[in-house]
Parts: sequence; structure tokens; C-alpha cells
Amino acid sequence: MSTLELVQTLKKDNGRVWNVSWHPKGESFASCSEDKSIRIWAKDGSKYTNKVVLTDGHKRTIREVAWSPCGDFLASASFDATTCVWDKKNGEFTCNVTLEGHENEVKSVAYSSNGLHLATCSRDKSVWVWEVAGEDEYDCVAVLNSHTQDVKKIVWHPSKEILASASYDNTVKLFKDDVALGEWVNSNTLHGHESTVWSIDFDATGERIASVSDDKTLKIWKEYPPGNPEGIPTEDKESAWKCVCTISGHHMRTIYDVTWCPLTGLIATACGDDAIRIFKEENGCDPNAPTFNLVATVERAHSQDVNCVSWNPKTPGLLLSCSDDAEIKVWKFKE
Amino acid sequence: MSRFSGVLQLTDLDDFITPSQECIKPVQIQKTKTSTGAKIRIQEDGDYYQVEEDGSAFKLQKVEITLSDCLACSGCITSAESVLVTQQSQEELIRVFEENKALKLAGKTSEAKLIIVSISIQPILSLAVRYNLTPNECAARLAQYFKQLGADLVVDMTIADDFALLESQREFVRRYRSTENDGVKNVLPMLASSCPGWVCYAEKTHGSYILPYISTTKSPQQIMGSIIKHWVGHNLGDRPIYHVTVMPCYDKKLEAAREDFFDVNTDSREVDCVITAIELEQMLDKDRISLDSLAESTFSEPWLIKQEPTEVKPNLTCHLGSGSGGYSDHIFKYAAKELFGVEGVNLEYKTLRNQDFKEVILEKDSKVLLRFAIANGFRNIQNLVQKLKRGKSTYHYVEVMACPAGCLNGGAQVRPKDGVTVKELSMQLEKMYEKLPIKSPEENVLVKDLYENWLNGQESDKCQSVLHTQYHEVQKNTNALNIKW
Repeated sequence: MSTLELVQTLKKDNGRVWNVSWHPKGESFASCSEDKSIRIWAKDGSKYTNKVVLTDGHKRTIREVAWSPCGDFLASASFDATTCVWDKKNGEFTCNVTLEGHENEVKSVAYSSNGLHLATCSRDKSVWVWEVAGEDEYDCVAVLNSHTQDVKKIVWHPSKEILASASYDNTVKLFKDDVALGEWVNSNTLHGHESTVWSIDFDATGERIASVSDDKTLKIWKEYPPGNPEGIPTEDKESAWKCVCTISGHHMRTIYDVTWCPLTGLIATACGDDAIRIFKEENGCDPNAPTFNLVATVERAHSQDVNCVSWNPKTPGLLLSCSDDAEIKVWKFKE
Repeated sequence: MSRFSGVLQLTDLDDFITPSQECIKPVQIQKTKTSTGAKIRIQEDGDYYQVEEDGSAFKLQKVEITLSDCLACSGCITSAESVLVTQQSQEELIRVFEENKALKLAGKTSEAKLIIVSISIQPILSLAVRYNLTPNECAARLAQYFKQLGADLVVDMTIADDFALLESQREFVRRYRSTENDGVKNVLPMLASSCPGWVCYAEKTHGSYILPYISTTKSPQQIMGSIIKHWVGHNLGDRPIYHVTVMPCYDKKLEAAREDFFDVNTDSREVDCVITAIELEQMLDKDRISLDSLAESTFSEPWLIKQEPTEVKPNLTCHLGSGSGGYSDHIFKYAAKELFGVEGVNLEYKTLRNQDFKEVILEKDSKVLLRFAIANGFRNIQNLVQKLKRGKSTYHYVEVMACPAGCLNGGAQVRPKDGVTVKELSMQLEKMYEKLPIKSPEENVLVKDLYENWLNGQESDKCQSVLHTQYHEVQKNTNALNIKW
């Protein structure tokens, strides 16, 4: 019987904690909250303690924080329509870049795997790609208006310059740089969810995407490249993406977040029913119709909506969660 | 209404400014006082009737949002406000034409308006490609089409382009000298003002920070408006004029609706209705007319004082530089000569980040004297504005246009045929434009004549008031009701 054991509860903020993000080295993490602060947490002995509070970057709620792959930069997305990039060049974390351009609330921010691009998305329905052009220089290289509604979340492919976004328009979209055209283009649109797609995550290979939605389902999408042995038709030399698994009946309310562990292959979800659930793929199942089993549930993981879950990139089974109840929790998955 | 929205999204150059999520403009409704709550009945046709206690009912006023509402609101920052654009539609244009015809038929010629249609070069080229005509053939047939509809005069807008270039050139030199000699700040770089999408965006999102940099020279459309309403109107016996412009983008409708361009003397807008290439294509389709089947008519030249307008065969010309008007090239050449005595400079642009961002410099003894750029499309506007805000801009002038590839690829130009990309079409239009004979604005004797006879000479107060405008910061209103997690 697998379990998710609570390791530690952290509480400093006065409002809902929106997001937690592990540092790429896996030893520390950042959190952000409704009270407009960013906190950085690291271990003191066996316990995580709050090391740094950054408060002067944003005028409104900070919705998401993201580390650059090198771990030297931290980007924060805020409802004040800006994105800040913080670094420690001067010894202390300071905001050296403020990216403006979104018309209103920025919902999500992420660095590409090679650190050359930063993406943001907003309630203004657009997804922006910024090129890291040099010291504190970010140039906007694309403004993508493919979504017809609020864009909730963006994530990058684990190794390629492919960007995925999830929206209130019930779709997931993929974007990439079309070299021939010299433009970023929307290469795929994944239809299937019946309500807002709140979050998405790639698996370790980048060949599959997990998506979670207001329709209370978790979906698994698989890439079928041109010439795939399954004979799935593709267009214009682009891969096709197909939903190969829909997991329903477990979540009682909106699912707000999903994290797919690159080390263990486990999927964790954060739900509006206050629970955290862990799913595991059945060994040896058909890759074109995989089975994912619910292997652990923590019913009252938090006392309110769970907003975010995040697997540690270095330690298998180490999970963070945060909630509207202003708490951050550290969990350990045990088989 | 749908034809006003969505069209911009048909492009694969995904770089236009799009409409924002929802219209948040609060509208005032005239309410009559009632002692009790009112009963409202909804008719089958969707009309709302208020039912009184005695059983009588009266129709309630519908809330309508006008272009002026859009301009005064910070809710959207769109370049193609896909809201209820009623004053600027094909229907409205046809209605005015029909009304005028009816008056003429009834012998009430004095009550009829003088309908003047001004045509700009970009939609002519767009329609020329669409109907496989040469630019001059296309212009002559458009003139015929408008006259069939009921236009009295059809005129070439090049005269206004020339004014805009000449005024921009002088304005740049004034700004440069005031910075160099008097240390005046916030006047350089001068940013182009002829693109209303860009101006509207700057007013709504960057406010007082960017506006001082935007050239005060009116756009060609609005200069044309002044020429037609003030000068031509006066010349032709002060008859009421209905002025139509044919333009490459929807944003020009917004520009025409600005309060700054309402003329109190004639109690009308300088431009009453803006019609675009794509709408013209739709009108022709609807009337089942192929442009190439029409006869060729003439352009009128009503510019000279106390003379009947002369009729000429369209003889289109182009300006040096971009298909957006050639601002960067003209101002660069003029400034090089005026400020540094360098004549006959050869402009060689260097493409920067992408095709839509290029710069050109004037160097002397390895010192950069002038640094100009052309920045088209939303993302390049973003990078330019951010550079300016961070004090990292080194430019003296930037030709800014909201549409990728500039005005020849304007948001309301005819869409490419199946199998042709937007890029291929805009390259075709660029080639067609470059093949036209080049004419410099300084050579235009009509412009010289108008400066003297109408505007009291160059650099006069009248030039300032007629050919220049101002910009207004739009305050952001954050409405808590709009927040969505």
C-alpha cells in the first residue's frame, strides 16, 4: 500500500499561497502568495525554514514563480500585469528586470530547458515568448494570440524549444519556432476537456502531456510523430497529439494543478476538494491506451483548495503542495 | 457586424494587436422615475418595453457603444475594435449615397451633400492584385465604382501624404535642434504618428510616458480631412461635404472618430466614413461587380483656388522608402542635409532581430550622427517601448506601424487567395509599390500652392493648427469585477 506522508508544514504568509517551485538543484524552493511576497525556503538541518522574503517587486498578487535552469534567476508572474526577474548578482536577491506588455493579470511564467527563452501568459489571452538576449535584456520574440480565452498555465518541453499552454477556452496548445517562417507558430491544439484546463505538465521524455481541468478529469496526451508505427495521420510534417487516457471519477472538484515526476513517472494532482492524489502508470500497459491507477490519496491534505503540487527534481517521491489555507506542505511518497 | 472581427486572426503573421476580453465600458441609461419597480416586457423581436401601471407600454432605449466610447475607454487596446462599429460601415456609406441620390432625384440638389472620396495608395494596390489590374487601371475603375454609387468627386490622397512627409521632416529637425541646442528632453526619438493602431495603443497603455515622443504631425488621412473640409469645401462654395476615405486598415475608422478631428465650423468630422480594401471587395462581391469589368473614370483635382476641379487620369506615384509612407527615408534624407549638410545619402537598412525591425545610420568620422529605425508589428513595438522606458533607446526617429510589414499589409487589406501566404502577398504588394514612379513631396507644386494660398506659408501658425494634433493619455480603470483567477 502506497502512502503520501506529511513531512513538514510551513506557514508564514497571510493569504493563499499560489505556487511553489523547486530550485533545479532540489535543495531549496520558492513560494509566492496573495500577500505580494516571494519566499525562498531551504533546509536547516532536517527542516525547511524561510530564508528570504522578497516583497518590493509587485503591486498585486504573485501567481507563479519559476527558476531558470541554471538556478541563478527567479521569475515571478503577477496580477499587476508584469513579470519580474530576480537574481543574486549583488549578493542579495534583487529584481533587475521587469517585463511589461501584458494587458492584465500574468498567470504563469517558465524558462525553456536551455534557459534561452522565457514564456508568460495572461488573462489577456496571449502567450508571450521572450528571448534572454543578454545581461538583464529580454526581447519579446512572439506574441501568440491563438487562445480565445484567459491562458492559465504554460510549461516548456523538458528538452526542446516547444511550449505548451492551457486555457479557459478548454484547450491545450503547443507552440514552436517555425524556422522557415521565422515566427513562433501554434503547431497543435489539443481538444478534449469540457471546461477550463488549469494546468499541464510534460513527462520526462516530453512525448506525453498530462492535463487537468475544471471538468474534474486528468487526461494523458501522447505525441505521434510523422511516420509513427501506429499509423496515426499527421499533417504538414507536424506530430499529432492524441488523448490516450482520461481519468475521471476520482476528483470531486476542479483540479488546479498537475505535476509529472521526471524521476519516478508518478503524477500528482492538486484539487479544489482539498485533496492530493497520486497516480501511477500500470507496468506493461499499452502505450496507446495506458492505465493509470490511483495509488494514494490524502483527503484533507489542506483545509482549503490545493493550488499547486510539485515533485522535487532530484529526490524521488519528495512533493510540495500549497493552498488557499496559506500553508505549504512537504510530503514523502512511499511505495 | 461579424465582418469587423475575426478578420485579423486569419493571418499567419500572428502579430496584430487583438481585442481584449470584454467590453467594460459603463454606459449611462436615461431612466424615468417610477415609484414602484418597473415591469419590463421583452418582445419576440428582442425589443424591450417598459409596462406602466395603466397597462401602456413604451419602448426602452437600447444601449449603443460608439467609436468615441471606445477611444475614451481603457478597456481594450485593440487595433480593430470589434465592437459595434455603426458609423463607419458599408451600410452607412450606402445609406448616405442613397439618401443623397434621392435628394437629387427630388430636385433638392442644394440639400444634397457633396460626396468626396479620397483613395490612399495601399488599398488601390491591394485591389489591383485582387482583380489583376495595373495600379492606374485599378484606381480609374475604383473612381468609376464610387461615381456609380453616387460620389461627386474621387481624389488621390498623395497630396496629403506629401504634406505629412514635409511636416514630419520639419518637425524632426525642430525636435533635434531643441534637444541639441536647448537640452529639451523627451522629444527624441520622434516616433511616427500616422498609424492609429500604434497611437491608440500608446495612449491606452503607455500614456504620458510615450506620448511626448509621438510626432504631432497629423496622419495623411486627417490632413486629407482638413484639406477637403476646410479648403476644398470653401473653394466649392461652402457646400456641406460628406468625406469618405479608402484605407488599408480598420484602425483608421477609430482615428476618424477622434474628437480632435471634429470640426466645429462645419459641425462634422474631417473624415465622415472610412472604408477599407476588404470591405470594398465585399461591396463589389455583393453588387456582383468585378472591378475589371468597369469603365475607367478620372480623379478630380479640386485643389486650386476659384477653379472648377480638373479631371485627370489616375497617375499614381510612390514615395521613397517603405510602403507605409516612407517616413523614415524622407526624414533621414532631409535631416542629413539640414542638420549636417550631407546630401544624397544612400539609405542602407540593417535588419535586426527580424524583418520587421531594421535600422539605418548616418556616420561621419566613425561618429553616429543619425540613427533611424523602422519597427513594424506588436512585438517590435513592445521591444521599442521597453527600450525607451529603460533609457536604452539610441534612436533619433522610429517609423512605427502596428501591422507586421507595415501598411501594405494593413489589417483590412484584401486577404491572400488560397495557397498564397500573407508574406508572399505583402511582398507582391511591395514590389508593385516600388515599381511606381518615385515622386518627392518637395516636387509637388500643388502642395506648394496650398501652403501659400491656404496655410499662410510653411511654419505658420495655421500650419500648426491645421496640420498637427495632440494625444491624450487614457487613464486605466481597474475594475475589481473583472478579476478572474
